[in-house]
Amino acid sequence: MSAPDELFCWEGDWGLPSVDTDCLTILAYAKFAGAPLKVHKISNPWRSPSGSLPALRTSKGEVLSRPSDIIIHLRKQKYNADYDLSAREGADTLAFTSLLEEKLLPALMYTFWMECKNYVEVTRRWYAEHMPFPLSLFLPGRMQAGQLERLSLARGHNALEAGEELEKELYHDAVECMNLLSQRLGANKFFFGDSPSSLDAFVFGHLAPLLKAKLPNGKLQQQLKSLDNLTHFCSNILLLYFPTDGRENLSHKASSQAEGGDFDHVPNKRRKQILSALVAVGAMLAYALFTGILSIQHVHQRAIESSPGLPADEEEEEEED
Amino acid sequence: MSLAAEAFVSQIAAAEPWPENATLYQPLKDDQILLSDCASSLAVQTYLRMCGLPVQVACKANAEYMSPSGKVPFVHVGNHVVSELGPIVQFTKAKGHSLSDGLDDVQRAEMKAYMELVHNMLLTAELYVQWCDDSTATEISRPRYSSPYSWPLNHILAYQKQWDVRRKMKAIGWGGKTLEQVYEDVSQCCQALSQRLGTQPYFFNKHPTELDALVFGHLFTILTTQLTSSELAERIRRCSNLLAFCKHIEHTYFKDKST
Amino acid sequence: MGAVHARSLDPLPMRGPELGVHADDVDAPDVEQDPKQEVLENKNVVVQKVHIDGLGKTKEDCLTYEIAEVFRAKDLIDVMKRSHEARQRLLRLGIFRKVEVVIDTSQGVDALPNGLDVTFEVTELRRMTGSYNTMVGNNEGSMVLGLKLPNTFGRAEKLTFQFSYGTKETSYGLSFFKPQAGNFERNVSVNLYKVTGQFPWSSLRETDRGISTEISFPVWKTNHTLKWEGVWRELGCLARTASFAVREESGHSLKSSLSHAMVIDTRNSSILPRKGGLLKVHQELAGYTGGDARFLKEDFEIQLNRSLFWDSVLSASLWGGLLLPIGDQPTSIADRFYLGGPTSVRGFSMYSMGPQSKGDYLGGEAYCAGGLHLYTPLPFRPGKGGFGDLFRTHFFLNAGNLCNLNYGEGPQAHLKKLAECIRWSYGAGILLRLGNIARLELNYCIPMGVQSGDKICDGVQFGAGIRFL
Repeated sequence: MSAPDELFCWEGDWGLPSVDTDCLTILAYAKFAGAPLKVHKISNPWRSPSGSLPALRTSKGEVLSRPSDIIIHLRKQKYNADYDLSAREGADTLAFTSLLEEKLLPALMYTFWMECKNYVEVTRRWYAEHMPFPLSLFLPGRMQAGQLERLSLARGHNALEAGEELEKELYHDAVECMNLLSQRLGANKFFFGDSPSSLDAFVFGHLAPLLKAKLPNGKLQQQLKSLDNLTHFCSNILLLYFPTDGRENLSHKASSQAEGGDFDHVPNKRRKQILSALVAVGAMLAYALFTGILSIQHVHQRAIESSPGLPADEEEEEEED
Repeated sequence: MSLAAEAFVSQIAAAEPWPENATLYQPLKDDQILLSDCASSLAVQTYLRMCGLPVQVACKANAEYMSPSGKVPFVHVGNHVVSELGPIVQFTKAKGHSLSDGLDDVQRAEMKAYMELVHNMLLTAELYVQWCDDSTATEISRPRYSSPYSWPLNHILAYQKQWDVRRKMKAIGWGGKTLEQVYEDVSQCCQALSQRLGTQPYFFNKHPTELDALVFGHLFTILTTQLTSSELAERIRRCSNLLAFCKHIEHTYFKDKST
Repeated sequence: MGAVHARSLDPLPMRGPELGVHADDVDAPDVEQDPKQEVLENKNVVVQKVHIDGLGKTKEDCLTYEIAEVFRAKDLIDVMKRSHEARQRLLRLGIFRKVEVVIDTSQGVDALPNGLDVTFEVTELRRMTGSYNTMVGNNEGSMVLGLKLPNTFGRAEKLTFQFSYGTKETSYGLSFFKPQAGNFERNVSVNLYKVTGQFPWSSLRETDRGISTEISFPVWKTNHTLKWEGVWRELGCLARTASFAVREESGHSLKSSLSHAMVIDTRNSSILPRKGGLLKVHQELAGYTGGDARFLKEDFEIQLNRSLFWDSVLSASLWGGLLLPIGDQPTSIADRFYLGGPTSVRGFSMYSMGPQSKGDYLGGEAYCAGGLHLYTPLPFRPGKGGFGDLFRTHFFLNAGNLCNLNYGEGPQAHLKKLAECIRWSYGAGILLRLGNIARLELNYCIPMGVQSGDKICDGVQFGAGIRFL
């Protein structure tokens, strides 16, 4: 047997194996299909072979990054969670995946990346805290710009402004979508009977972050929590397929609740202090360097001017330095 | 129940009945309209015919810019301007015309999901073929799209549009796809539709819904439109029940036109 | 004999603050003659040399035309007068910050006993000047960057670039101006621009990107401008609630037009004239040089001013215009005429009369408007001779009409149609002149002859503008 495929995905938090929708989808699918992936949970997208997360490096060295491509690849490796589905159910999978992508995803992007309070207090904070230092300064902003562009392009010509109008439209679509999913799921354990399929992975990937993240502005979250079968569906998958992450969640519950309640909690404060100290030191260093360069040039110039007279002295000075 | 509830929901809109002079706007039929817009327009026309709502079709060179959402087609009914099938369905529903009232919750969920499937795969594939396949863009899309404009505006607008669509494709992850992959997606989509349709006359048994209008609009347009390659139509022809479905709807709702 | 500075002839500093009594108001300068000059007055002199000191990048050849007249002077007063005129001509080129004239007796070997040397000491403008502005409007802020290269190639050419970056729109303009050497009024300019306008009275947004070339030249007492303009116009609705008539006009169009404008202006000031008249005729033909828009547009403006007793001025103006579509395509909302507002037919809201659809004014293909004003100084004349002269009171009577024509009916019917349902208004108000470019008005207006659909502004109306009926 060749080496197993390697999956690079975002780290987990909030009791989830990963915070990212696409990563969650793939992780869940891999679990459902029983695919033996070597999972690297990282928080530096630059360490991924494709430069973005998720990414799958196959045993042949190929790199895939679209979730649907990765799932197709796994399916070809005979890790197929949809093996038992009828053709009709396969068609439904395709249709409901489209529904998620068209109706729910834009609202999720809005909730996590455009809604200011959520972005600043949860999304940006999480990514900035987990990324290594210089990346954390600009990568969250770039990720946001990417999401914004995608959202505005998907919605066509209209100028995109984070206004009530847009929020209302997106949330209306998303709530409709969640209701439809809830109706489709009914009292079933999974969408197609008792065993999970790729559709379950997709739905889980989209809903779980919304369910578990502690969003200050939780309009959409409230809507999801009111749909009992969907919340149960998500926690069930977490319990059955990601028991370690779930338990982690339990053990961290006390501290995380404290986190949620108090925004000036200590670790973050310290981080901020360190960051500000770093910035200050950096600025000082830069200034020192800047002025230093100037003075060095100055000295150097004078040195050149005086060098014809006193070549020996110059050398001595340099050696001393 | 439905009477009281509906009256409450659509108080204002229902106060005005569907007027005789309702108009649907689309780009110029002979010289300008492209596959994707033509398909969307046909879908809306089919839907309104299924509802028994009269509508006149007006072809305007600037239809895209007249539309409040920048997308065609749109209908002008009384004082309202509504674009795209989804909002138009909601709008007619507010006026008391609906095709999906007879469905149960699960069926309605499936109907919406399949409609999104058509949007997500068929419509996107049409856009991809139109603007991202170089030979189609050069020979058909750009000249047709810019036909109402004079030089040099025609080139500017056509390239601007192409640029916009390509950016969109990149943003939704279709940028790296090859034409063959897109055809494969279309096949997959058609197979899914074909599976769902089975041997029924309509997707949800005996009565047409907006999903039937949408699927007919796209499939019929792809089947009857000449492109640089007939591959797109070929992929649909492989599903014989979809072909029968198209013929059936054409016969039922567009008989007067074709004769 | 010392040097006589021609500067003393200046009635006022030419580049003084804009808000001030302008040179236009002062009639031909009365040269007060000293006893000392009187001695020299009749003595014949010869201007032997004219120097221009302080030239850097400016090419001398183009300046010789401007100062040639100085050589023709016969006596000292003449020298001073002509030097003064030459100085004005140099300043008008817009390439010098300061010009001083020094007249002195000739020195050197070939100096004649009655020879004079005239020296123009000039200070050139900087090679490049920049400006930076921020503007804040309602819901919108913008930053305007300006860059000007006066005297680009040393012959009074001018290259200007303006870029405005706003929260909603960006616009820019690049223009190159070149006068003919020695004949500043004969000039060529090329412009490249993008401007965005929002017209709430029509619920319309217009973005124009265009290029234009124009040639200006004087013929006898008139000034002519020939212009070719190619504009890509993008129209859109300002709000979702815009009427369908405006929606139908949305989209892109290309206008390529040739236009000609003729102006005779004998007024002593363009803002608050006391005498003289103005005739402006403008015609534009679009469509024969390409583009989608095809029309012929004729437009004229007449203004006559007459001074009456006690510094009061009677002013009458008449405007009119006609837009004829060529071919079967209807005219665009962007080309039609608009009327109404505090600077045209007072007592009506800005551009809010004539054909409309659900509150959006669509403009008309023909219009005429007339105005009669009586301007007087402020009552009791406070601040006379200074600040008070910036103000005037006025009584006005305005009338106008704007409509679409049905071309099947013939010219008689057109005139009849324009003559019926005329809107008119009267009132009084106070004016404030802002430099020589604009004026502010605060009027009390009583609109009359209002047609249904017009939006009136009954009572106090405030207006600012550069063109007035």
